[in-house]
Formats: sequence, structure tokens, C-alpha cells
Amino acid sequence: MFEGCTIGNRIPFIEAASRKVFEKVGIETSQAPFTCCPDPTGLKSFDNDVWLTMGALNLCIAEAEGKDIISLCNGCTNTLRGVRHQLAHDSLMKEKVNKELSKVGKEYKGTIDVKHFVDVLHDHLDKVKSAISKPLSGLKVAVHPGCHYMRPAEWMESDDPMRPKVLKELVAASGATIAEYEEEVLCCGSAVTNAYEEHGMANLKIKMDSIKRSGADVVVVNCPACFQQFDTKQRDLGKKYETEYDIPVLYITELYALAMGYSPDDIGLKFHRTRLKSILERLGL
Amino acid sequence: MSIDFEFRKLVMDHHIGSDLIKYCYQCSRCADNCPVTRVSFDFYGTSGYNPRSNILNALLGYKDAIFDADPLVIWGCTVCDTCDEVCPQNIELTEIFTFLKNESVKKGNAPEYLIEQAKAICDSAKAIPSQPAIERRREQLGLPSIVAPNVEEVQTLFKNIGSDKYLD
Repeated sequence: MFEGCTIGNRIPFIEAASRKVFEKVGIETSQAPFTCCPDPTGLKSFDNDVWLTMGALNLCIAEAEGKDIISLCNGCTNTLRGVRHQLAHDSLMKEKVNKELSKVGKEYKGTIDVKHFVDVLHDHLDKVKSAISKPLSGLKVAVHPGCHYMRPAEWMESDDPMRPKVLKELVAASGATIAEYEEEVLCCGSAVTNAYEEHGMANLKIKMDSIKRSGADVVVVNCPACFQQFDTKQRDLGKKYETEYDIPVLYITELYALAMGYSPDDIGLKFHRTRLKSILERLGL
Repeated sequence: MSIDFEFRKLVMDHHIGSDLIKYCYQCSRCADNCPVTRVSFDFYGTSGYNPRSNILNALLGYKDAIFDADPLVIWGCTVCDTCDEVCPQNIELTEIFTFLKNESVKKGNAPEYLIEQAKAICDSAKAIPSQPAIERRREQLGLPSIVAPNVEEVQTLFKNIGSDKYLD
């Protein structure tokens, strides 16, 4: 399992919920000495060659064990699938990358696959449904699958890149209701916020206003960068534009953990910045 | 404005596996769907982020219009890959923008956060290094410790590829 830097070293409560859900669904994982994926919105912009080579290094680590990778993060999945795609279609680049890898005693062959955990859960939807013991009826959910879960479609090969539906199907399986909103495929703006905060916040406003209009109780995500953008930036956004947003954020595996009978304390929901109290009370948790 | 043919060639080479960028007819679907254009571009087009102009300038070899302008011209991109999906000519715009960003790094014009992240990765093999407080939290949550990556291997790659010199 590829937990990634953000979940592993900053918001590990998401990993806790994910591991509990995987156990209920029967998805077995193991750990490996992975490096940063590296970040498709960060290190790739710094140096594409280093990005490709480090990505291939991580694929080599999984290849050595003969196992596929399951990733908890959109960015990591995007990098690892992107590297795999590029090296499969560009033999000159593959040669170049392998020349660098040989200096650390490795060779990339291209024998394993990389999967986003949302797609794996979707493949096990029957088992997911039978593990749900406390359906979240009455909860209205706005979904945000996030850019790198489905784009570029050419190498993500998962959901429709502009009209995604997989996350909605997963949420529906929990017994919750989908709150449709206009700006569903709009980026959370995490990357541009790092360089130009004013543009990032203006983008987030469009997104959050649209979610608020939908009447959603909660926004469900499957990417740690999007999670942080919504969870930590929401208060600043509210202050800046003098609007009360107050829409809590849940990872899809946190939503599932609650629906599978775990308590908010079991999965560390208290570490969220946005307050979940009112929806937890309503759900009787 | 001068045309840099060498730069033009590099742009063409960077487009994975095809020369589709030649067939850009400036329809502007990329800019129409770009989230950053939406919040940064003014009506008369005198400022803001515009993927369509970037493709035009890259394709024509107008290097100065890209690298001597406001850094927003390059670094406004939020890497959402929406332009790639809506382009009627299947141009991989984000790949071209990655190349422009890489060149901008070499000129010393990268935004600070990017260099900070690259340094963290080169120093610890992780974009976010492990911290004692988070390790304790992992333990409280019943999570196993993270298996330490091989930092030396990552540093060797950075050094051999030659990008360690852009870290300062």
C-alpha cells in the first residue's frame, strides 16, 4: 500500500480509517520502503526527469515483491500511473531512466499495475455493501473526486474525466444521498494556492459556494491534497469573503468506517479542522 | 519579438509520442475551461493566466514572451489536466507546461514552495518528512510505523541527473 507523504506523515487518521475499511472488505496490503511518489504538481514541475526516475524507482520496489500498488492518494496514483504509461510508450525515455536506475542497482521492467483505492473499492462493491451495518440515511453528500483521480484519462483509465460517477456510486452504497452541484469537476486549486494564494482562494470560493447551494451536509473526497484544501482553508475563506461555510469534509473511507460501525474516536475524526459535531449528532454517533 | 528555433524544437520534442501541438488552431477551449484563467484573467486580456497563449508562444518559439513575462504566465497553472481533456486536437498541454516550468526552474524563477518541496525530497526522500508528533499520533491510531525509504538512492538520482544544483 502506498500511503504517500501527506497521509502518512501529516494526516494519518485517514490511513487509520482506510486500513479498517480494507480489512472489512478483505483487501490485503503490505508495507514497502517507498519514497515520495513524487508529487505530480510539485517535483514534476521542478524536473520531469527526476520525477520519472523516482517514480520508476518506486515501481521497482513493488516489482521486486511482485505486487501491484494500491494508492490512497490521487497525486501518488497519478504519478505512478503516469510514469508507467510514459515508460511503456517511450522506449528512449525508458532506456534513459533505466540508465539512472542502474546506478542504484535497479531496473524498471513494467510488470506491475497501480490502482487508486476508489477503483479497488468499486471493484469490491458487493463486499462493501455487505460490510455496511449502519447506513447513513438522510446524510446529504457533495462529492469531489478531484482532478488526478480521473485526468488525464489516457493514463488514469478509471472514471469519465469530465463526468465522474464512481465516487457517487460508492457514496450511495453507504446509504447517504448525493447532493448534485454545478462545479463538481472544478479543481480544488491546491497547486495554484501554493504560488498565488489570491487565485487559489477565488477558485475555492466558486467551488464552496456551489457546494453550499446544493444543500450538502458534508463534502466527500478521495485525495489528501483536496482534503486539506477544503478542511484547512475553509475558515480563511469564510473570513476573507465574510461567509459562513461550515461544511465538514470526509474521506470516502472515513464515511465508510462510520457506516461500518466504527466510532468517530476509532478513526480520529477529532483531528479534522472543520467541525463534524452536528452531522455526527444527527447520525446518532 | 524574436523566434528561438532551438526552443521551438525542444517544445516539439517534449510532446509525448506525437506532433499534435502543430495542429493547435487557437480555439481557446483550454482557456475557457481553465480554473485559473477564470479567476485571474481580465476581460481585455492584458493580465492573468492563459493556457492558449502559452501554447501559441511555445509553438512559435517566442521564448521571451514566456520567460521574460510575469511568472504567473508559467506558474499560474494548477495542473488540473482539464485543458488536456477538452482540447479538440488532443494536445497534451500540461506536458508542454511541465517543460516550460522545468526551463523556468533552470533560470532560477521557480516559486519558493516548489524549491522547498524538492529540497525536502532530496534530503529525506519524502515531500513531508516524518515528525515525532505525527509518529506518536500514528501509534495512538494503531498504525504501523512507516518503512524508512532509502534516502541515499534518491540523492544519487538527483545528483546524477544534475537537478541538485537548482535546489538553492
